[in-house]
Amino acid sequence: MNWLDHLPALMLAVPLFGAFIAPLTAWGGKGLRNAWFLLVSVVFSVLAILLWSRVGAAGPLIYVMGGQGWNIALPSGISIPVRILMEIDAFSAFMVLLGAVASLAGAVFSVAYMDRFSGMEKFVALYFLMVTGMFGMEVTGDFFNFFVFLEISSVASFGLVAFWRDRGEALEAAFKYMLVSSLGAMMVLLAVAFLYSRYNVVNMATLGKVIEWGMVEKTALVLFLTALAMKCGSVPMHMWMPDAYAEAPAGVTCALIAVSQASLYGLFRVCFTIYGAFMGSPVIPWVIIILGILSMFIGVSMAVIQKEVGRLIAYHSVSQVGYMLLGFGVGLLALGDARAMADYGFTALKGGVFHIVNYTMYKGLLFLAAGALFYATGSRNLNEMGGLARRMPKTMVLFMIAAAAIAGLPPFNGFVSKLLIYESSFAVHPILAVFAMVTSVLTLASFVKIFQTAFLGPELKKFAGVKEVPGAMLVGMTVLAVAIIGLSLFPTWSLNNLVEPAAKALMDQTSYIGAVFAAAATGGGL
Amino acid sequence: MIGNFPYLVVGILFVMGFIGLVFERNLVKIAIAMSVIEAATNLFIITLGYRTGGSIPVWTMAGGGSSRMVLPTPQALTLTAIVIGLATTALMLSFIMMIYRHYGSLDVRDIRRLRG
Amino acid sequence: MWTKVLTGFGYWDVYSWLAFFVIAGGMVFFIRSLGRKDYRQGTEQDEIFYGSNPVPEDGEDLKVPASSAYWGYTQALKPFYEGLVGLHTGLATDYAGWYILVTAFVALLILV
Repeated sequence: MNWLDHLPALMLAVPLFGAFIAPLTAWGGKGLRNAWFLLVSVVFSVLAILLWSRVGAAGPLIYVMGGQGWNIALPSGISIPVRILMEIDAFSAFMVLLGAVASLAGAVFSVAYMDRFSGMEKFVALYFLMVTGMFGMEVTGDFFNFFVFLEISSVASFGLVAFWRDRGEALEAAFKYMLVSSLGAMMVLLAVAFLYSRYNVVNMATLGKVIEWGMVEKTALVLFLTALAMKCGSVPMHMWMPDAYAEAPAGVTCALIAVSQASLYGLFRVCFTIYGAFMGSPVIPWVIIILGILSMFIGVSMAVIQKEVGRLIAYHSVSQVGYMLLGFGVGLLALGDARAMADYGFTALKGGVFHIVNYTMYKGLLFLAAGALFYATGSRNLNEMGGLARRMPKTMVLFMIAAAAIAGLPPFNGFVSKLLIYESSFAVHPILAVFAMVTSVLTLASFVKIFQTAFLGPELKKFAGVKEVPGAMLVGMTVLAVAIIGLSLFPTWSLNNLVEPAAKALMDQTSYIGAVFAAAATGGGL
Repeated sequence: MIGNFPYLVVGILFVMGFIGLVFERNLVKIAIAMSVIEAATNLFIITLGYRTGGSIPVWTMAGGGSSRMVLPTPQALTLTAIVIGLATTALMLSFIMMIYRHYGSLDVRDIRRLRG
Repeated sequence: MWTKVLTGFGYWDVYSWLAFFVIAGGMVFFIRSLGRKDYRQGTEQDEIFYGSNPVPEDGEDLKVPASSAYWGYTQALKPFYEGLVGLHTGLATDYAGWYILVTAFVALLILV
């Protein structure tokens, strides 16, 4: 048996092992701890790439924890699905890959950024736990495990948001985040219980096969929808997001973005794979579209008037998540209608998936750049900054790349995904595209504001001693900048190889379900 | 009728939890409301798995055992959920403790430096 | 690999954009090269024009703070922004309240 067969398990085991060993590295001093931090991050990134290429080559991957088949046959001949199952299709593998890249960049950045602080071994442990939770949400084929991993990543991220516990604001942000997040997690559990009460299974593929459209299923869908939409920060449940993102250390925020994308992944796994064609009414797609429109518009409106760098960028996260919700909502609306799907639905899905990758990359970079500004100047307030382009030219260039990408300036990648979303949502209703475009304009406006007030302007005396940030932070940012430039210069390649398989996997409900049952029929998952 | 009584309790607990979460001002009381919601969820799951007159869900491969068992999966789910709930409650209370040190108050209306 | 991204309605071609930037850059440098040649750095030529007043020593007194950016825009949309900022109360209970409200509303939409 090839060790590559165990990739799905390794994807979880490596960061989990990293987390539990991390406290021990405190004895080896700073060097050992940093080496461990980077080593584990690099290893899981390599594993993610391997996993992604394997799924791309061989189709959906089924992995059964600790057994060959996913079901157990009782003497009486009944076969019940009992084992812990992981299923990775192209969309999951794509999300894992993104999460790994963002976490790697955050880890490299944090090595230098958090250098001044004590208790770093705990930071590393929490960071890896959060990453484990994120990967778990993306590779699991089982709803209850989804809940468990959701809680793992959430609880670890509460701790990380409150890492600077000498700041009251950080604790406040962590508390607020925790309150809504635990409530949301409870609702996810409740939804799992509802589905369990009806079908006696928690396995996603089995559920997708047997589900019908009734009262219980509707309730479960609503609970899933709002809980996961809250976790990825859609208006009006977004208010924790600017608090938590702005107060968390910058490297953490970079990974937190990927974690919130994992919730988005869960939302679309539920909508597309479990409910899929049974989504009889257009109510849920429209709810998603309206949440998306609200997020886009209100998020960006609030961003324009912010005075703190972190909060401004965090409000942009809200508005960018709106784009994805819009794209996926339009795709969901077209689901089950082959003609609409071919006309605009698939384009919308591609736009949504492409926006996920673009967003994770440039938003991570923006937060890291904001962290670099904070590291160099000790301030988060835009009113106090100015003239930093003279002192931090490299950070400025990296920030410029990310800002141009998020604002959708050609030739950067942000515009490609936005274009796909505009044109497909236009086919549904022109007003959707209008909102999306106004949002894009305001996005550009607010990034011009950061750029002008932080980097341009006359040289300030109080920043005369400011130096460029350390190399590790620049490397962390460069990882993401290279990804952005790569996605920008080769949009066709990224669409064909990254985005389209993921969008197809999302659209094709039967392949996800079929993979599990095919594996069960041959008696082996591996 | 009497079989549905636990669901009624679950409903009441949920409503109590939601009301506490939204209308209480004291952070500790909010944390209690959160725990009530967790308890309600756990009670709901455990009730789902209950079968009147069922025995413990241990089935040996050798056969035997009662023909009616309570469902094992909800119990496994609930155990995990209880553990997670314990961890979140502990973390939440420690946050509240540290917030009190910084803000000198437990009133949510005072703990809003981050807004707008 | 060097093809366009078709969106179903139009297309995106990053390479024509790159060509555009190269050409536009060339034009900019050409126009710049037509400019005056007698500019010298460090002389009075690159001094800040501050309405004939003495230029402040510290840049702090010169710069436009972030809160002044888009003053006209926020002023024009004042009622909208007052309402919007008013919604962001920062109360932890409101955060939970919004979540419960949205859940209830969506449930109402789909169940009824």
